[in-house]
Amino acid sequence: MESVISCQHLTHYYGKRKIYEDLSFEVPQGRILGLLGKNGTGKTTTINILSGYLKPRSGVCRIFGQDIQTMDPSLRRRIGLLIEGHVQYQFMNIEQIEKFYARFYPNQWRRDAYYELMSKLKVAPKQMISRMSCGQRSQVALGLILAQNPDLLVLDDFSIGLDPGYRRLFVDYLREFVKAENKTVFLTSHIIQDMERLVDDCIIMDYGRILTQQPLQQILQTLHRYSATVPEGYEPQLSDAELYHPAAIRKHFEVYSFLPPDEVKQRLMKAGVPMQGELNSESLNLEDAFIGLTGKY
Amino acid sequence: MRKIADFILCFIVLVLLVWQLPWLINFLRTPDSNNTFALYSSLADDFICNQFVGEDKKLHRYGTDGREYSTAETDSLLPCFFMRQLVADGRFPDSIHGRAVTPHEVLQTNISIRLNPRDINGNNIALYPLIESMPKRVDLEWPDDMFRITDTGIEFIKMETNEVKTQKSRLFTEALQEKGFSFPALWVSGNPSVRKAYDEGYLILDAQHRLFHLKRCAGRPFVHEFPIPEGVILTHVFAIEPAARQFRGLAVDTENRLYVLTSDYRIALTGVESFQPVTDRLMILGNMFDWTVSVLDDYAIHHYALDATDYHLIRRLDRTLSDSSLPGLHFTSGDDRFCYPRF
Amino acid sequence: MYYKEWIKTRWYLLLMFLSTSGFAGYCLLRLHRVIALKGIGHVWEIMLTHDVVFVDYLKYVPLVAGLLLAVVQFAPEMYHKCLKLTLHLPVSHLTVITQMLGFGVAIVLVCDILNFIILWSYMHQVLAYELWSRCLLTALPWYLAGLAAYLLAAWTILEPDWRRRVFNLLVSLLVIKIYFISDAPASYNGFLPYLSVFTLALLPLNWISIARFKEGKE
Repeated sequence: MESVISCQHLTHYYGKRKIYEDLSFEVPQGRILGLLGKNGTGKTTTINILSGYLKPRSGVCRIFGQDIQTMDPSLRRRIGLLIEGHVQYQFMNIEQIEKFYARFYPNQWRRDAYYELMSKLKVAPKQMISRMSCGQRSQVALGLILAQNPDLLVLDDFSIGLDPGYRRLFVDYLREFVKAENKTVFLTSHIIQDMERLVDDCIIMDYGRILTQQPLQQILQTLHRYSATVPEGYEPQLSDAELYHPAAIRKHFEVYSFLPPDEVKQRLMKAGVPMQGELNSESLNLEDAFIGLTGKY
Repeated sequence: MRKIADFILCFIVLVLLVWQLPWLINFLRTPDSNNTFALYSSLADDFICNQFVGEDKKLHRYGTDGREYSTAETDSLLPCFFMRQLVADGRFPDSIHGRAVTPHEVLQTNISIRLNPRDINGNNIALYPLIESMPKRVDLEWPDDMFRITDTGIEFIKMETNEVKTQKSRLFTEALQEKGFSFPALWVSGNPSVRKAYDEGYLILDAQHRLFHLKRCAGRPFVHEFPIPEGVILTHVFAIEPAARQFRGLAVDTENRLYVLTSDYRIALTGVESFQPVTDRLMILGNMFDWTVSVLDDYAIHHYALDATDYHLIRRLDRTLSDSSLPGLHFTSGDDRFCYPRF
Repeated sequence: MYYKEWIKTRWYLLLMFLSTSGFAGYCLLRLHRVIALKGIGHVWEIMLTHDVVFVDYLKYVPLVAGLLLAVVQFAPEMYHKCLKLTLHLPVSHLTVITQMLGFGVAIVLVCDILNFIILWSYMHQVLAYELWSRCLLTALPWYLAGLAAYLLAAWTILEPDWRRRVFNLLVSLLVIKIYFISDAPASYNGFLPYLSVFTLALLPLNWISIARFKEGKE
């Protein structure tokens, strides 16, 4: 399948602080890709590079085959951008902002989609965006993106500042729109439950690198938490890259891995973990999987 | 576009640095001034220099031979200049150089003239009030109109209505033309003020560098031409109205020679070697016997002692100035009232 | 694009047009009062002998007006990085910034011309050409300073990095100083054409800020 986003060998530093080095990933057409990572791992950096508001130190990002830095302006018609905090022009009201954007997207603007969403908001058409709640603003921003009807949506932390009801509304609307029209989405969020309802694929980032890029279902099916009982005072000393974050709290030992139970058991025994009794295996939800992969700290 | 913008920014920053840095350095350094004030004393036949010297910056008075004078000695050597002090001390002499003098006579004949390039280097308004020179009452009165000199004539504009007085304009234009005046004027000089003893109108250089005197007597034009010697081309004229009416003004020609315009319409060459009105400052302090003419240019101050009757050179004193200020970009100058970048 | 600028600035524009015209009107009122009290002859006399120009009250008015216009127009763009939305529009960035600044420059010029028309309409009735032209020429560098203030303030506001913003501010202050060096009336006359070109040359500086914004400088 054709890649809508293709980032190759991205390296970026803020001053001397390395964010990441040699990062590459692709987003295929028609997929919803969520970027997960703890604070400071470069989520926002990646979004900024993708939306053209950060020039990476090296590497290149292409959207629809064109380098973002030198992209043909008309190509931006096909990209919907939601910036952090659902920011929209504060000084306009619902009608003005629609009127403003509509002129830039002739032949593709779907005024009805916008007003359909707006009719559900309990705001007067003349109310300024600056005087709306964050939840209402998010609906305006979403409505504008739906009206723009872009082929690719780039959403920066869409869940920030939203109460659960608006988050759910946002996610449901977005998913329905995207799936019905075979759109591609690249998004970040720090609320992982939202991602679970929405994304097809996950990129999980750790400091400086990508831990994994897999379809969500695959992560949920294959990543397990393994636990066993160990003697008190045991300090795990494992150096196996496929066993994530081994830890022991008193007598409880746990480790995360994509490997099947037998393989994990073998590796643990080989490494001399003094397991007492059986190795238990649990399936995980996305939040647990995320913590398992990135660690609690 | 980024390159053009960066270039413009670099250019601006460079201009700002070349402008502000030397200014800051010059500002932080205390300037050392060796600008002397000198007056010619005919009694000592020497210049008496005044200068603040030494750590305490005390005023010293000394002759060109280095001889120091006390305050009282200086007063006596410059009796006309320090007349009031001498009168107060009861030391004012009955006669100077064998000529009987009174304090009133000294006061009447003392002259003090300052010409600053700032006064002529500026966008001055080319409108002039022509004051009645023979007023019915004692005081001079501001007229109800002003004139401008156009390419074809002189125009009086009535201030009340902001309209040209056609009849008066024609009258004066014809009077000027009759005397051979060719329009437009190159230079107009007068003292537009009613706070003076008398009014002598304007000195005007016409398009042919001929010099005319124009004034208004009982509402009628009075025009008189100065005969100019062969080969002299006047460039600047300064109308001066000294209390004793000894002369009418000063003039400068293309060779930077300074002339006195006498009251009998002669052009008298002075012993001043060079005066450029556009760049030099001129100060004349004179009395009935002699004038001290000080010309300050960029590099030196030149003091000339002239005879007060025929303006021939008696003595001369030159002091070079040490200019230690850092060169840089300036927008303004003490010599003019323009604003533009220059080095 | 002009629609957005219009919505942002419309109330301020009303204020700007009213207040600058008000100041111009006030200057004329002062002139009128002097004429009423002391007669027109006195006005001509003091203009001739005391360098009075009657427009001194306008000195910093265009400067403040231009500065505030830039703030009103560009501060909302920098609020939560709204500029990202503007630059994401399917129009070339050069077109976007040129249109935004073009809007502002046009407003400033229209406002200036209006002011000059107000001043001229009364002055040319009571003053000779030499006098009213001198008044207007004295005020002209101040109006250019207003334009420069607008462009420089925009450049400073759009700059994403605060350290660089301080630098921009410093440069701006010194550049603005050029317009106010000389107090002598009409002293800029010969320099004015060059100063005007220089003022317009400040426009591309904004491209630096935009380019730096796109590079993600913070």
